[in-house]
Amino acid sequence: MNRRTAALSAALALAVLLCAGFLLWRQSHAQPGTTAQIYQFGELVEEIPLDQVTESYTIPLEGEDGAENVIEVAPGRIRVRRANCPDQVCVRQGWISDSSVPVVCLPHQVVIQITGGEGDVDAAAG
Amino acid sequence: MRQHALPAIALAAALLLGGCARTQEPASNQIFAMDTVMTLEIYGDGAQEQLNEAVGTIYRLEDLWDVTSEGSEVWALDHSAGDWVDLSPETADLLAQALELCALTGGALDLTAYPAVRAWGFTTGEYRVPSQEELDALVPLIDYTKLELEDGRARLPEGMELDLGAVAKGYTGAYLAQTLREGGVASALLSLGGNVQTVGAKPDGSPWRVAIQDPDSGQQATLGVVEVADQAVITSGGYQRYFEADGETYWHIMDPDTAAPARSGLRSVTVIGSDGTVCDALSTALFVMGAEEAAAFWQVHPELEVELVLVEEDGTVLITQGLEDSFQLTQEDRTLEVIAP
Repeated sequence: MNRRTAALSAALALAVLLCAGFLLWRQSHAQPGTTAQIYQFGELVEEIPLDQVTESYTIPLEGEDGAENVIEVAPGRIRVRRANCPDQVCVRQGWISDSSVPVVCLPHQVVIQITGGEGDVDAAAG
Repeated sequence: MRQHALPAIALAAALLLGGCARTQEPASNQIFAMDTVMTLEIYGDGAQEQLNEAVGTIYRLEDLWDVTSEGSEVWALDHSAGDWVDLSPETADLLAQALELCALTGGALDLTAYPAVRAWGFTTGEYRVPSQEELDALVPLIDYTKLELEDGRARLPEGMELDLGAVAKGYTGAYLAQTLREGGVASALLSLGGNVQTVGAKPDGSPWRVAIQDPDSGQQATLGVVEVADQAVITSGGYQRYFEADGETYWHIMDPDTAAPARSGLRSVTVIGSDGTVCDALSTALFVMGAEEAAAFWQVHPELEVELVLVEEDGTVLITQGLEDSFQLTQEDRTLEVIAP
């Protein structure tokens, strides 16, 4: 092996190590527990690591024409505590704590979704 | 032997770098259309462009099929007093496919059940329980065979109304998936309000994991997870839209024979297959049929290439044999039975 190949080998080995390191880092950081994402009009407005919540609190979310959803965040779970939407579907749904079903308030275009955690899935049918 | 080390390292590096590159984020969007929330995730080169096009397609199809909007083709059909209505190619295509599925399911799926859906208040949210006389009067209005379709136009007898709600999202998913594949997209996840359509597998080559919701309305939980690639996963259930009156629960899936919510002993039906329109239509039709008839239907129609997850009122879960390896029950206290071909 001449010096040139040795240098190339070293460079490639370094690339391999870096890449492997990155992949391992990603894997170890991909499952940080559950995170709740709150969307309004299709835009992400709040992201909450639910496993780091120690005390319950509420987030008032104001929409158009006086629309309001009061979201309650608690350790490991989240819900719409009250809303002035006509159908109250989001309120009736209650707490969610895993990625299986998002809370959706269609009239106010609010979605609360959980990602990460055990048994993480890509989508939910239902 | 030494000189072999370099190509080997280069290969390993290329594979690993490829692996890194494939962990890219998808182009994604969340939109409100067709009376539900939709999430689209598209991977690969040109994904953003494909995403924008897909969103445009969804709004265009929604405008064609919104039963409550005066500009839609469905509204025109419902208000044409028996006259012919010209249709866009997409509406004609969807109607043709849907009518075939109505016939195949012996009318368990019926596109003209809309008057019943409205009588129970599901179109406005002002729920009510109609009288038996009212229902008896509605039954003759529910008959998909009266819908005529020919050469890009259709007509419906006056007084009858059709709605594409039982097939529109499944068709839209299939339509988008086809467009994406033609546009060179190898990996995409389209969640159209709980109707899941996948294109290819995940970017890393593993199958998509799709949760099936537990129809027990007291739980916001996953019943099980199914792994799919290039397929649709579509559920119809009595828990999705319902109201309670006098201790009874009434849901939005109507039995065309009674103009009342279908009570077949099933809580939900999930259909998994390569054609989203078929899956969507069958999820409704098999819910109306009940477990026994649904299993028999599946056994005599292997050409449809679908698999089923049926949940009975007592919580028993029935899966068809093709799902034995790809379906995993998460509610482990449930009885799981397999339907053989």
